[in-house]
Amino acid sequence: MSRIELRAVAKRWGDVTAVEPTDLVIGDGEFVAILGPSGCGKSTTLFMLAGIYVPSEGEIRFDDAVVNEVEARDRNVGIVFQSYALYPHMTVRDNILFPLRFKSVARDQARARADAAAKLVRIEELLDRKPAQLSGGQQQRVALARALVKEPQLLLLDEPLSNLDASLRMTMRAEIRGLQRKLGVTTILVTHDQIEATTMADRVICMSKGRIEQIGTADDLYHRPDSLFVAGFIGSPPINLLHGIVADGRIALGETSFGLSGTTAGRIVLGIRPEAVRLGAGKLQGRIDDIEPHGREAIYHLATPLGAIRALEPGSNARFRIGDALAFELGTPLVFDETTGRRLDGPTLDL
Amino acid sequence: MQLAGEIARPAAQDWPRLVARARVRRRAVTIFLYAVLILGSLPIVVPYLWLFTVALSGRTGAGTTVLWLTLAILMPALVAALVLRIAFEDERRRRRFELALAAVTLIALAFVTGPYLHTDNFRFLWITDIANQLKGESGTGSRYPSVWTAFGNSLFIALTQMVLVVSVSTMAGYYLSRFDFAGRAGYLKGLLVLHAFPAMTLIIPIFLLTYWVGLLDTLTGVILVVVALELPFAIFVMKGFFDAVPWDIEMSGMVDGASRRQAFFMLILPQVKVGMLAIGVFAFLRGWEEYVFVRTLLFKNTNWTMSLYLFWMNEDVMGTDYAMVSAIGVFYVLPSVVLYTICQKYLTQMSIGGIKG
Repeated sequence: MSRIELRAVAKRWGDVTAVEPTDLVIGDGEFVAILGPSGCGKSTTLFMLAGIYVPSEGEIRFDDAVVNEVEARDRNVGIVFQSYALYPHMTVRDNILFPLRFKSVARDQARARADAAAKLVRIEELLDRKPAQLSGGQQQRVALARALVKEPQLLLLDEPLSNLDASLRMTMRAEIRGLQRKLGVTTILVTHDQIEATTMADRVICMSKGRIEQIGTADDLYHRPDSLFVAGFIGSPPINLLHGIVADGRIALGETSFGLSGTTAGRIVLGIRPEAVRLGAGKLQGRIDDIEPHGREAIYHLATPLGAIRALEPGSNARFRIGDALAFELGTPLVFDETTGRRLDGPTLDL
Repeated sequence: MQLAGEIARPAAQDWPRLVARARVRRRAVTIFLYAVLILGSLPIVVPYLWLFTVALSGRTGAGTTVLWLTLAILMPALVAALVLRIAFEDERRRRRFELALAAVTLIALAFVTGPYLHTDNFRFLWITDIANQLKGESGTGSRYPSVWTAFGNSLFIALTQMVLVVSVSTMAGYYLSRFDFAGRAGYLKGLLVLHAFPAMTLIIPIFLLTYWVGLLDTLTGVILVVVALELPFAIFVMKGFFDAVPWDIEMSGMVDGASRRQAFFMLILPQVKVGMLAIGVFAFLRGWEEYVFVRTLLFKNTNWTMSLYLFWMNEDVMGTDYAMVSAIGVFYVLPSVVLYTICQKYLTQMSIGGIKG
């Protein structure tokens, strides 16, 4: 268990910058997720923590000791790869025992620890099989047991659930979360799946293009995104983004315009969550282009003078039909400066 | 929705007729496949059969009587086996008939060809100065070494060559697969070009080179030359096998506490075992069959290999004992055939591993 700190850590490959100088503190026993699209530098960050990549700049500290130069094998880190990286020629037991071969652990004690780790992830009856004879979920558990058997001070999970089917993913999500709570091991999960990140981690670090966009809880990221990127990346169906131009205290959106106070900036983006759009009442008029019924809720595609808008309403879609004209209103939108991509707190909109 | 045109659908489908038709088709395909395979393998099998029959039955000449007798029994047996294969779809019942057929064939063979067979042609194995008897002590006979000297030399060349090729190509293949260095792409292209390069055109330079470095007429010289020619292909194949092993495995191993070398030996090498085996078998066979370079670079009779022994035994102005030459041929080819039969499973996998490169 330990406290992890990054101080201005960056990674470059020649001219390509994978991770911009980044500062980050992860508390002892915390479960943190690094979320971002592929190529955002999240896996690079993970591999730097594991000791597989050496940072080009900055310091990585484990409990206040700089570990930049410490080799992967000496860091006492457990890692679960997306591919699980099980050793195909070894049985499950030998896979789990492998990390203990390099530690001074007596043979019978190592065996007892491997059995305990296997029990923790409920694969005791699979110990004598080869990885090829296991299902995806079982392989995942073996990889977890192998990462945990040496009692790492830091557990790294690299897209651990992306090779599982949907229902198994849900079970494993809860299971990994439970395991982490029980063991209290500092854990970093890397994922491109927002649901994985928000449901499992205490804090989510949202990354894009090698830079941390925002660090916060699921609530923070969803309701108070700092940037246009976070607003667009988090949420499914995605947020409505309406591009407008501000002039003379009004904002021009599509074919209409509204009063806007608190800013004089030129280009503005309004972000409205689909569920904040209320259908059937209000001052705005639109027409339903399409309806996607999901059972529990329905998604409506509206054609409006402001532009195309997605709305989400719980319950049945029986109230409306495709082609209906209807009144609607928007909730309080998030306002972003289009050029900087940052959220603006000042402006209020008169819709 | 109405698509253009209409497909006529029969009023009632005649299922039993369709079943019968499918069965006839399946049998036709079986007959065709077996016929093609048998016809395709005959030109390969018959010469070997000839060699074996002459080695076991010939008396100084290479008579074909036993070959024809054998074929006269084997060909009908083959046709009978084919008929059995088509007549019985149930494997257990067929097995019984096939065993009976095999027994009948063997008994017939023993009965018909038995009187012709003898092992006299293999006397070169125990009469080590056989050449003296055949070719005369005062003539060329005394130049001939024992067959076991040649056998040992061939074995030495093949094995040493195999060890060198496997170890060098494994390490080089791993490095090429995992590390980037200046000129890597050019190096890989170079390997392909060298592999495709006709080695025969290099004989004179190689002869001069081995002479200058003092390795002419030594087994070491031959081994080094063959290894050098064999390596480009072997390295390329091994690189393909290493490419197929995910990086995650060694990364995981290193996080688990292994050094890079330990990860290589404990985690990566076991994944490319098949490749090493295939390369090893190929290298062994290459060394075992080597003729051109041993003929060019070796002179002393104590350095003769099996191929040279066979060549010189065949070389006689006074008339060659083709029966014995055949026996030597059988003795020479047997290790290759056995090795190839045991390892063919791995050899076919080699091309699969190689493609990934």
